[in-house]
Amino acid sequence: MELKGAKLIDFTGKVVGAQHFESFSDEVTKAVRSHSGNKVAVVIDPGFGFDAEAPHLVADHINLTGTNPLMGPNDACGERFPVVNDIYLTEDMPGKILPAIQRGILGGLKHGVAPSASEIAKLKTLGAEFFSYNLAQTMIVAAHSGWKVIGIVVPSRLPLDGALMNEIKSLVKEEIV
Amino acid sequence: MKTESWNIEGKSAVSSVGILKAVCKRVPDAAVVLGSGVNVLMDLHDPVAMPFEEVFGIAPTIAGHSGSLVIGRLTEAQDSPLVAVLRGRFHLYEGHNWPVVTLPARVLVEWGVPKLFLTNAAGGLNKSFNVGDLMVLTGYRDFLNPEHKETGLIAAVSKDATACSNSLTAKILEIGKKLSESDQSFVPMQQGIYAACLGPSYETMAEIEMLRRLNADAVGMSTVPELLTTDGTNTQSAAISVVTNVWKEGEAMGGHEEVLEASKQASLRLDKLFHALLTNS
Repeated sequence: MELKGAKLIDFTGKVVGAQHFESFSDEVTKAVRSHSGNKVAVVIDPGFGFDAEAPHLVADHINLTGTNPLMGPNDACGERFPVVNDIYLTEDMPGKILPAIQRGILGGLKHGVAPSASEIAKLKTLGAEFFSYNLAQTMIVAAHSGWKVIGIVVPSRLPLDGALMNEIKSLVKEEIV
Repeated sequence: MKTESWNIEGKSAVSSVGILKAVCKRVPDAAVVLGSGVNVLMDLHDPVAMPFEEVFGIAPTIAGHSGSLVIGRLTEAQDSPLVAVLRGRFHLYEGHNWPVVTLPARVLVEWGVPKLFLTNAAGGLNKSFNVGDLMVLTGYRDFLNPEHKETGLIAAVSKDATACSNSLTAKILEIGKKLSESDQSFVPMQQGIYAACLGPSYETMAEIEMLRRLNADAVGMSTVPELLTTDGTNTQSAAISVVTNVWKEGEAMGGHEEVLEASKQASLRLDKLFHALLTNS
């Protein structure tokens, strides 16, 4: 994986506080779309439902929000029907912490939906291994703009690991937001 | 002037029917909605064509959907079945609301059209399917209904698929079987469950796997609004998917252009099917 020249979108304080995807869509999606091309976005989102209480790297997602951020007129930065397979970077991670993080499939839930234990069990039979509220939608916007993405979901109760953050920041040259 | 087709309201079903009645005195015996790149029934007799914008007050925005309504007889004979062909439809992913997406089906119900055949271009989930297969919908999963926007999809993935078990669906299966037995070029039709997802982004591999675990055989972005709209009315509806790609691990996915190309080949068989169906139903 080549990360030289990659740019970091630091969503800190935005994703965590967002009530809806739309609450940061204008500012952040404009930033993403204005830098469309061969770029890498790193998005960190709090989540739950993990088997192990540790940060997880998103290998793929299932959008269970009931909406899609690309509904409506197509933004010319991407195709009308974008292929969003293979957008998550998980292999050949540099550093010490990132290569060792557990990979898994994210279930993207509608904000405010708190699934019951039986619903979580059902969703796990369908392939979702952990859940968050913002990341899947954000990734769709990023992928539409031609970005590859590194998605990291951190258990809500855990503080962000400073060493992990430093490692992510060391990957990139320039911060956009 | 072309109307901007998002965030606007269409005409009411009653006013659309008024426009149709003014140009067509007889209520069609059947209507057919054509999905992306599906081109059938191009040879209707004494056709009357109207753009969607004129009939519904809105034009579609998607390449491959010309957005016109053509009404004509199946053959030259004056008592031949009268067919309304809707080339294109309105989708939620375009930004249209539910009333607009269901407007054409509501108009057909209001006009009293007794049979509605729906077609769509769909991705094949069932690994035994091939590109160009026709799949008769024997059931569907609805991930489009506006209620999901409020609650998310947990309830929708937790319940069973809805069956399409009316006599019109049975008729398609019967005619299709006869055609495949008598015509070597008519590849036997598949049947299965259609999952209607919002789009416009195609599904991720994890979503494909989830839909397979839910026993869905094909996935697309339409058709279920029309099935729901006609349910319980005097307009009986049935649907056929044209399988335009089949997701298999490690193989690249096609884009919209490839969807259109695969649809062309299947359209030839679909045309035979509709001529037989409309003659015999």
